[in-house]
Amino acid sequence: MLLSAQNISKAFGSFLAVRGADLAVAEGEIIGLIGPNGAGKSTFFNCLAGDTVPTTGRVLFDGIDVTRASAEAHARAGIGRTFQVPATFEDMTVLENVMVGAFLRHHHRGAARETALRIVEMTGLTRQSAQRARSLGTPGRKRLEIARVLATGPRLMLLDEALAGLTPTELQQAIALVRRIHELGITLVIVEHIMEVIMTLAQRVLVFNQGHVIAHGKPREVVANEAVIEAYLGRGHRRRRREAS
Amino acid sequence: MLLAQVIVGGLLLGAIYALFSSGLTLIWGMMNFINFAHGEFVMLGMYVALLVVVWLGGGPATFGFAAAFALFVLGVIVYASLIRHVMRGPMLAQILSTFGLALLLRYTAFWIFSANFVSLPQVSLSGTLNVGGILMPVPQLVAGVAAIALTLGLHLLLTRTTVGSQLLAVAEDRNAAMLMGIRPDRMQALAWGLAAGSAGIAGALMAVSYPWSPSVGETFGLTAFVVVTLGGFGSVPGAMYAGLIIGLIQALSAYWLGPIYKDIVVYALFAALLWLRPQGLMGKA
Amino acid sequence: MKWSLPALAALLLFYPFILTGPFYWDIGVAFLLAAISASAWNIVGGYAGQVSVGHSMFFGVGAYTPLLFYHLWGLPPVAGVPAGMLVSLALAVAIGMPTFRLQGHYFSMATIAVAELIRIFVGTWDLVGAAIGLQGPAVGRAWWDLTFRSELPYYYIFLAVLAVVLYTTFEVERSRFGYYLRAIKAGERAARSLGVPVRATKLKALMLSAVFTSVAGSLYSIKTGFIDPESGFGILVSVQMVIVAALGGAATLFGPLIGALLLVPLQTATNTWFGGGGSGLTYILYGGIIVLLARFEPGGMHEWWQHVAPRLMRRSHAA
Repeated sequence: MLLSAQNISKAFGSFLAVRGADLAVAEGEIIGLIGPNGAGKSTFFNCLAGDTVPTTGRVLFDGIDVTRASAEAHARAGIGRTFQVPATFEDMTVLENVMVGAFLRHHHRGAARETALRIVEMTGLTRQSAQRARSLGTPGRKRLEIARVLATGPRLMLLDEALAGLTPTELQQAIALVRRIHELGITLVIVEHIMEVIMTLAQRVLVFNQGHVIAHGKPREVVANEAVIEAYLGRGHRRRRREAS
Repeated sequence: MLLAQVIVGGLLLGAIYALFSSGLTLIWGMMNFINFAHGEFVMLGMYVALLVVVWLGGGPATFGFAAAFALFVLGVIVYASLIRHVMRGPMLAQILSTFGLALLLRYTAFWIFSANFVSLPQVSLSGTLNVGGILMPVPQLVAGVAAIALTLGLHLLLTRTTVGSQLLAVAEDRNAAMLMGIRPDRMQALAWGLAAGSAGIAGALMAVSYPWSPSVGETFGLTAFVVVTLGGFGSVPGAMYAGLIIGLIQALSAYWLGPIYKDIVVYALFAALLWLRPQGLMGKA
Repeated sequence: MKWSLPALAALLLFYPFILTGPFYWDIGVAFLLAAISASAWNIVGGYAGQVSVGHSMFFGVGAYTPLLFYHLWGLPPVAGVPAGMLVSLALAVAIGMPTFRLQGHYFSMATIAVAELIRIFVGTWDLVGAAIGLQGPAVGRAWWDLTFRSELPYYYIFLAVLAVVLYTTFEVERSRFGYYLRAIKAGERAARSLGVPVRATKLKALMLSAVFTSVAGSLYSIKTGFIDPESGFGILVSVQMVIVAALGGAATLFGPLIGALLLVPLQTATNTWFGGGGSGLTYILYGGIIVLLARFEPGGMHEWWQHVAPRLMRRSHAA
């Protein structure tokens, strides 16, 4: 197993956001995390990314315990993540943003720049590479976040609604980009509301509700699951866009 | 006996620290914003008191109210003309705005009032009270008790009234407050008014017993930082306890080590706090 | 644009021969010192976005040690420069370690509080001259005491130091370290997620900045041969660094130079017009400038120029 999260719980005061969630990801898989608002998937996701330390349970990456490791250490170990609300470096250019990521594996400017240029091209940002990040729209920033993470040379990428808010054409391009990332041998865990994305990309899906994992399996099986229809499609469907972290 | 008197004196001064520091902590808690000019607000409160006494011959109640009112207005003006525009801007602008304001107010005061120390002419408050052998000057006693009452009043205003809950709602979540029909801009202007007003009245209360010059603002501003850090950012009760503690520590270090060391001890305490317990005594870990 | 750098270098090199005489040389030296200090501040305050308002602590340490070395052991003041750098380095670590775990405001508060603490403490400490301060050699014993009657040698010593500081900043800007600083300023959480060691990087910036600021302080005290708590650790020393950098453009290589170019002549003018009592007015002016900058142009004159220049160009083309 590349990533293995065992019995993860996270409490905020007396509120249990995640209750004993398990996840095992094999190298080369694409896993989808879905669930209605406040179901705990974002908190769980942050535990995987090293942004939050879980109250109980542990996270192993490539056999090493990273439960309490810092977010920086996660990146160094090869776990990259994007943010639900894009957190690009607004005053830096697109290329410079990607170079910050590339500097993780390359100490010298020339090498970092070369890697960054390659990734900018791969993610279709070449035309905007000299623009400041603030000039991009949300889709561009989400793409830039993916590029930046890619430049850190991750083995596992955690995408937090990286494909939300795109037009149908942009969505198709983004799905193609995720496929290409996958073809590079990078394992992916994606939090996503758009069922189309989950159905076409994910090999396995975890469904969260009220902090629990209520279903787990192939996308086709999961959407047919009674509990999932009740919890996710039944109630959360309409509010899906307003999911708070 | 002398020690007991030192302790009482320290607590009475600490009560005033508590009052002006609660203004600083209110702004921090609500807006995540540090006011570097807060000490200057206290200093201006002292001069307002002086002017009211000298020009209008007002008594303690008059100049106290005048200082509170004048600084309340200044606080609102500062918010509306400056803070509102920089509070979501770059960090540099946030810090420079009030830092520059502090310099502007301090050196304008130097220019107008000169660097000489002044004190209030004898006002109707005078005499000492003898409680079990401890001599307490009446002005300090009245000022200390008034300061505690006002700090508690501010706390009750925040926790028990509609206006208070609206202020806290804005602090909690600006957007949610807006959806509830609260206008964050008004609430934040009010918070700046209250913060500056409490600093102003604290200055007036201090002016009764202590001489001052324009440079006291810097000392009071730093004292307020220490109090707020000790009490935990955003907590008015925390500021109250911490203010009393700092007043006490100052009085004791002046008594044991000498008057020059009272600020050194307090600032050193601040440095130690940053290392050991930056969230303050009452803050969450 | 290609010629602007050599032109600037030539201008600075030949300035003492273009405007001759002690008055202009004095302004030149003051300009260089302000530019060095502000460039040093700029590394942590500008690039890393950690706004120090107590950089006088490093300046003061750097200013005191040379004269202390002379005062205590009769050594040439220059010998105290490395000691000042070391103490400043230690001070930077002591302040950066705890505060860089916290939000940015803590750092600002801590810097001003520690600078005040040191200023008051030094004012009571007899070993370093308490409130009176320290003096350097009245008459130089040899060239290594660096007491020159003319301003000219100081001008070139200061210019050399400025060149070193600017070159270092230039290298920082292009390096991984510089990219990391800008990333941290833009968003710590995102920087961390990309493997940027946020605390260590900020600390490194503060250390580098502290060392250069310390050198600026040493230059000041060696030249004037005198230091007291106010001129070393006073809040106005910190203010000047911040205002010069912010005025010219924080987080830009030449911003501090532009800021010093605007501010130093202004300061000389107000001091000349208002005489000795003018210092108060100077600081009212400083306060006013800072407030206006924060309110209207937090990017400094640099950014303002970037807005204005294209418009002017267009107008001149149209005419």
